[in-house]
Amino acid sequence: MSNLAIMKPEYAAYVEALSEALARDDEEAFFSALDHLVHLRTPDFVSEVRKLTGDLQTALDRFRIESRLVDIAENEIPDVRDRLEKVLQMTDAAAHRTLDLVEQSGPLAERTAKEAAALADWWTEFRRRLADESDTEALSRMEEFLSAARNDCERVRRNLAEVLLTQGYQDLTGQIIRGVMKLVSELESTLAELTQLSGEDLAPKAVRDAIAGRDPSKKPAVASDQKDVDELLSGLGR
Amino acid sequence: MNKDLKFLVVDDFSTMRRIIKNLLHDLGYKNVVEADDGNTALPLLKAGDIDFLITDWNMPGMPGLELLKAVRSDPKLAKLPVLMLTAEAKRDQIIEAAQAGVNGYVIKPFTAETLKEKLDKILATAGK
Repeated sequence: MSNLAIMKPEYAAYVEALSEALARDDEEAFFSALDHLVHLRTPDFVSEVRKLTGDLQTALDRFRIESRLVDIAENEIPDVRDRLEKVLQMTDAAAHRTLDLVEQSGPLAERTAKEAAALADWWTEFRRRLADESDTEALSRMEEFLSAARNDCERVRRNLAEVLLTQGYQDLTGQIIRGVMKLVSELESTLAELTQLSGEDLAPKAVRDAIAGRDPSKKPAVASDQKDVDELLSGLGR
Repeated sequence: MNKDLKFLVVDDFSTMRRIIKNLLHDLGYKNVVEADDGNTALPLLKAGDIDFLITDWNMPGMPGLELLKAVRSDPKLAKLPVLMLTAEAKRDQIIEAAQAGVNGYVIKPFTAETLKEKLDKILATAGK
């Protein structure tokens, strides 16, 4: 049987009372009947709200129990941001180091090319004078070498210019990484809001660390540089 | 071409500023100063001795498009040649920059030839 069918006799009585009161212009009777009708509906409404609240609480409880999410919000996301920051720093340092070397090497190649060109002119004249009386093979090999040195240096300079431009990757990948970092930060604050919404005062980080067997004062499990590796090994008597 | 022109290179990535500076050096322009966004660039521009502005678009602080608009709205800088050198390659953005009065637009990654070509074209138009 439908809800309406069950409620029908009760509702019908009040509806009738309402319509009679209306016909009589009896204000008091009208509002009294209306109040009764509203009252009939209210328990349903209250129980609906109660059910919704319960559902919400269950969802939040489940979220709270999902400590994995809390861990992601509090530990892994900041960690991801740190790692991306590290990528930015490393690529920046590597690109600058490359640029240092390009800037140092360019003038060297240029100087060698210039010197080879100057020597080649001088050598041609020198060779012409000695042509009859000297080892012509050595003379022509020297000439070839000077000419090749000039061309090779020019090629080195062009390659260095290409290496220079290629370092632009640091800017382009850096912009992508910054975009991802921004997204990660947004995700972090959304998760933080959700964990706050779940109400419960979540166990402090130190407590959860202890439960998970982590000691925050201890060094991270990954050695970060050669100094760490050396320290670690010497600590082990190596 | 006048090789004494003073360039201002604006980019938030120091590697990119260094690359552009090197390329300008190779082209014979030795007078180059740098800034890392519009906010640091604007005082340098207002100081008055910059002849050419090369700017990135996407920068924290004041982005390149805002810098361009600020330049164009300043009577003393309104005619300054501005080249945009950016990874932003969407049609709408290029149109927006053109409407804001950019003189040239180079997409990253770029080649030394492209940079030279755009510079020469802008300088020829500006009569420098």
